[in-house]
Amino acid sequence: MNKTSAFCITTALLMSGWALMAHAADEARQTAVQMDVPVMAEQAKAAGLEHSYTGPWEYFVGGGAASLDCNGDRFPDLMLAGGTSKVQLFVNESKPAGPLKFTPQKLDISDTELESVTGLYPIDLNNDGFKDVVMLRLGRNIILKGGPDCSFSNANREFAFDGGRAWTTAFAATFERDQPFPTLAFGNYVDRSAPGSPWGTCHDNVLLRAQGTDSPHYSEADILTPGFCTLSMLFTDWNRSGTPALRMTNDRQYYRDGEEQMWRVDPGKPPRLFRRSDGWKRVNIWGMGIAEGDIDADGFPEYALTSMGDTKLQTLDSEAEEGRPVYRDIAYERHATAHRPYIGSDLKPSTGWHSEFADFNNDGLLDLYIAKGNVERMPDFAAFDPDNLLLGQHDGTFVEVGDRAGIDLDRRGRGAAIADFNMDGNLDLVVVNREAPASVFRNLGGKADWGARPMGNWLQIELQQDGENINAVGATILVKSGNATRLRKIQTGGGHASGHAGFVHVGTGVAERAQIRVQWPDGEWSPPYRVFANNFVIIRRGDANARYWYP
Amino acid sequence: MPTSKALLTGLFMLAALVAPATAKDSTIPDPWSEKTIGAHVDPEKYSGTLSKDKLQSLTTIGEALFKARFTTIDGVGRPMATQAIIPTKRKRPPQQSFQRLAGMDSNACSSCHNDPIIGGAGDFVTNVFVSEGFTNADFDSTDPQFSNERNTNHLMGAGLIELLAREMSADLQDQRRAALEAARASGKPQVAQLNSKGVDFGKIIAGPDGIVDLSAIDGVDTDLVIRPFSQKGVIGSLRQFTVNALNHHHGMQAEERFGARWTGENDFDADGIEGEMTRGDISALVAWQATLKPPIQLAPENAQWRQLALEGSELLDETGCTQCHRRHLPLNSLSFVDPGPLDSAGTLRQGDVSQTATYDLALMAWSAALPRDESGAVLVPLFGDLKRHTIADQQIAHLGNELLGQRFVDRDVFMTGELWGIASTAPFGHRGDLSTLDEVIRVHGGDARQSRDRYMELDDAQRVALIAYLKTLVIEP
Repeated sequence: MNKTSAFCITTALLMSGWALMAHAADEARQTAVQMDVPVMAEQAKAAGLEHSYTGPWEYFVGGGAASLDCNGDRFPDLMLAGGTSKVQLFVNESKPAGPLKFTPQKLDISDTELESVTGLYPIDLNNDGFKDVVMLRLGRNIILKGGPDCSFSNANREFAFDGGRAWTTAFAATFERDQPFPTLAFGNYVDRSAPGSPWGTCHDNVLLRAQGTDSPHYSEADILTPGFCTLSMLFTDWNRSGTPALRMTNDRQYYRDGEEQMWRVDPGKPPRLFRRSDGWKRVNIWGMGIAEGDIDADGFPEYALTSMGDTKLQTLDSEAEEGRPVYRDIAYERHATAHRPYIGSDLKPSTGWHSEFADFNNDGLLDLYIAKGNVERMPDFAAFDPDNLLLGQHDGTFVEVGDRAGIDLDRRGRGAAIADFNMDGNLDLVVVNREAPASVFRNLGGKADWGARPMGNWLQIELQQDGENINAVGATILVKSGNATRLRKIQTGGGHASGHAGFVHVGTGVAERAQIRVQWPDGEWSPPYRVFANNFVIIRRGDANARYWYP
Repeated sequence: MPTSKALLTGLFMLAALVAPATAKDSTIPDPWSEKTIGAHVDPEKYSGTLSKDKLQSLTTIGEALFKARFTTIDGVGRPMATQAIIPTKRKRPPQQSFQRLAGMDSNACSSCHNDPIIGGAGDFVTNVFVSEGFTNADFDSTDPQFSNERNTNHLMGAGLIELLAREMSADLQDQRRAALEAARASGKPQVAQLNSKGVDFGKIIAGPDGIVDLSAIDGVDTDLVIRPFSQKGVIGSLRQFTVNALNHHHGMQAEERFGARWTGENDFDADGIEGEMTRGDISALVAWQATLKPPIQLAPENAQWRQLALEGSELLDETGCTQCHRRHLPLNSLSFVDPGPLDSAGTLRQGDVSQTATYDLALMAWSAALPRDESGAVLVPLFGDLKRHTIADQQIAHLGNELLGQRFVDRDVFMTGELWGIASTAPFGHRGDLSTLDEVIRVHGGDARQSRDRYMELDDAQRVALIAYLKTLVIEP
């Protein structure tokens, strides 16, 4: 036996030993769950939602979902990307606390335009009270302008939006200071026409600042170069400055000398990339999705970045010099690596896509959902790769309950929508799967011997302001009960090709009351609003009291 | 000849043989034990509608728990938890486990609720210092900036009070539902007057979009849940009250709020004892409190007192006192379901159990004496309206003598104190700092100002008559 062989064997033994120990630790943690495990019952067929995300290589990525209220009843409706299949709109006809029910509604858009769609993000671009939807496509992107009763029309011409010709896979939007219309960022993937494609041929990304006063015009673009095959992006106020930066996660599969990126987007100035001199550290991952969540509500968000085997959970390094974007990976110490399937015998690394923080069991702690699924048939990665539901625990760690919750289906997950579709206080989950039916999980409550039981208390909050940015994109919501504060942001972007607009859900655990304070997008703080838990709360800027909405 | 030791052994054996084979009640600890809780109550034994015997058995355990002077072996003390109703950690253990102000401040429930009988009220010495327990949890001053000092209320008839509150909450929520349906159907806003059992709670405006304007509600929380307990009217059920108080006063933590499901820990207060109060234990305490005999109206043997009381009763109406201290509220059902329908997470809810328990208060001997109206509804003689009112004003401010609001309720707003049993529960006022009924009437301000002024305008004899009437409202020893 030569030295190399001996080293390999020793390493393999150590690795397998570590793997066994890690596995044993995982199992121990799995058996120790004492909080409510939500019962997520898959009911797509019964709910009338039949949809698949299909297509060749170009559609190995994407597969987005937009949840938005398009008919004014405040129940979230759904629009799902189809790849080579058409985008479908599903109107939510669920009854309060009843079974989930969706009805497909035809979109008055040409079939060609509804095809080749990778992702969907809802936002009210023109402040008319109707949610618009930005469709990310292989080819020209399209803005669907929303109208009454879930009507949509192609508004590219009206908004002077070219749409480009790239393969677009990421999107984010923000209302910059004093701007009536949002600034849009588009993340592009591989430039297939470039020599040597796909390796080392990532497309540049684009930032569009709106012109115009009556209606947004997106005719002028800032090119964000270099692009490193961005698969998700979001505007994030990482340093509590009030001016969000544009954070991107990039796929190392195709870039050369690339890395994760964050752009400084100061009002009125060209975007500028954060560099080493700013404290930005090189991180190379197969970045697929970003979620922002402020786990400890300190105002400095954590980020969950999905990848292939090396999921990151980043927090601002408290030991770094103040004001510098130095991040530390805490996925391992928080038991949130989600690096391989948690059930089954496949020990290969898993492939993560959509990520999103949410409180699925209403215990007041943020949980983390990650959609999983092999890119297609990559032999070095797990073939059976169930989605993760990592429940946040009181000690700050996470514990995997995907199998116990019932979301461990053998499907290749991509994008997802997390919302309370039947307005019962529990967050439901819709997953867009590649070449497989979309999954619709109704959250029935905490697992109990007799089925399901009610979980913790909750609030769902809608912000309103007059004039511009009427849905308060960029606002911060603080929900305080006792000494605990829970923080949420109103954002457009992130996840994997999927966005949500509508009520913001907050679990409050055993607190039956809470005080809500809002920091509006322009930085102004609201007075405290006193509310009782288990209500849908409407906060209109300037009002002395919150109002309740009843489904 | 046998030795004395052998003889003694033989006697013990004989005694063991001839002793009746009675089953030991495992919920009662051995008499020589320093534990006060025996085996925890098995809730499965007490589910469904309880028979009279079962109910008696459960309330006996509940009474024992109410009187138990809990020990450290039971789990008394909360070295690493504050008195807060939301499980809240201390930064460090307090120097003394017992502390008269921030608590824990007593060994047993009955240490305070004992006048004139167990379950009754308490003298000034039993005052509690109510603080949220989030900041300054270890306050060591009676300075009102840290806590509200409150006298101990009695619990007699508490089951009837909670049942009334449940029915009234259901009424108000039905009115909200109907307004919303009408608004959605008509496409126009609908104004709904909120009223239950003759008590007015203001109004709401329901919009056709499902949004409700709550700015004009009166005396009730925005979720339209009547919370009938505590002087402030901020506690919704006996169950919630029991869980709160056990932690605050004794450091006995109920699993249904402080257990691992909600805190991630089995011993949240870090006193070395897990599972201090189980679901079954709380149920026993609730059952006992819910079945407590309500106060009665005495028919004085003294003829002069009888006559005065008759006159005083009329004066109570004439002065307007009974606008808030309503003589009775009608109650449709005597079925007390535990857990109740209105609690939220942290207090056991109906959905948290596979089967609830129902205590039929009609099984209680005292229920037969309750008056009923022509519809068969029980007329609960509480002398209250289960509504909150402003009780102080610029001139008459004594009852607004607190500095801290509580759970969204302003400092000078309190629930109408029920007058049943008032003659047995001196001293009076929220702080228990008024020794006579006359004094407490004179300090009614705010919404009660007019009635108080009319009382002041009465002549001495009339005032004596009115108080003579109040003196008939007693807790029967």
